Amino acid sequence: MGDLKKGKLTHRTVWEKIADKLRKRSLWMLHYCTGCGAVELPPTMTSRFDMERFGIVPYVTPRQADILLVTGYLSVKTLKRLILVYEQMQSPKWVIGFGSCTINGGMYWNSYATIKQLDNYLPVDLYIAGCMPRPEAIIRGFNRLIEDIDNGSAQNWKKYYLNYEFYKKNQEYVFGEVNTNLDIKSDIKRFKIK
Amino acid sequence: MDYERENEFIKDIKSVFKEVVCTVKRERRIEIELPSERLFEFATRMQKNWDYPHLSAISCVDWIKENQFELVYHFWSYNKKILVSAKIRIPREDEPHFESISSLWQPAKFFERDIHEMFGVVFDGNDDLEKFILTEWKGSPPMRKDFITRKYSIEFYGERKYNPEWMKELKKLGDSNDKN
Repeated sequence: MGDLKKGKLTHRTVWEKIADKLRKRSLWMLHYCTGCGAVELPPTMTSRFDMERFGIVPYVTPRQADILLVTGYLSVKTLKRLILVYEQMQSPKWVIGFGSCTINGGMYWNSYATIKQLDNYLPVDLYIAGCMPRPEAIIRGFNRLIEDIDNGSAQNWKKYYLNYEFYKKNQEYVFGEVNTNLDIKSDIKRFKIK
Repeated sequence: MDYERENEFIKDIKSVFKEVVCTVKRERRIEIELPSERLFEFATRMQKNWDYPHLSAISCVDWIKENQFELVYHFWSYNKKILVSAKIRIPREDEPHFESISSLWQPAKFFERDIHEMFGVVFDGNDDLEKFILTEWKGSPPMRKDFITRKYSIEFYGERKYNPEWMKELKKLGDSNDKN
């Protein structure tokens, strides 16, 4: 996936380090459910497992969300919407692939309508394996993401801007040309991605 | 069981359509095989004369060895309470044509659109045969028996090869968990 120099991407100024310290405890998750994995989210959100104790709250609009949790299989039709949603989210943003469907197709390994490797189309920070992953696994995944944000290694959203051609090519291969109105150049400038 | 009601209804059908094959599959279920050119007439009669207001579904079966498509029309009556499945066969081509019954039942448009997408059957008289579920589809209709799903899925969506390094990584993670 391109030749990224990790040292440059993960370099942070002091202010960014402080900002990451604050960010990691107020992650808002986009409440967008694809596939069947979303049934594990209600127990994770509500009092038994209570993900709000980590500062993670489900939220309804992509503009205010930080985490895109892809819960389960993605048909090509859904993938198109997911990419529109992802590009509307404000950086920094993190993608979690949830369930084995996003990793290698899972039980849809033989399907004509679902994609099999999510990281060809979106930069994935973290995969949670399982079919389905239990709420404990989701909580552990979130904790891992919090750790990664804290130590500055969760920078995959920058890869989307730097390797945009790679992702765009894969996206167009499965569903044809779509104008998503993403202004790559000005975004790279704004977020100072080098 | 003597299937009194079912046989009575079959008598009604036989009085009009002499050549059709009717079988009682079980209680409240009749199967009818009829020639494809008489289907529209049959459907009209079902709706107008025999008190069948409801078209439950249209389904399609691909008989590749016999080189035929089978279309199955399921009718339901709320008064008779007998489900009638009318089966017809059409030749299996790249774009087989068949007449639409959407002038009798509006919902038939959706069933026919679905069959057009999955099997490639064109229904003449249906003005709405746009893409239905697979809006980004390219390639031959996926429910045909000669469509190889595995090949298509590898070609378009790729395949992730197993890498033994991942297991090592996961095991390390598990070990560190055990210590905690």
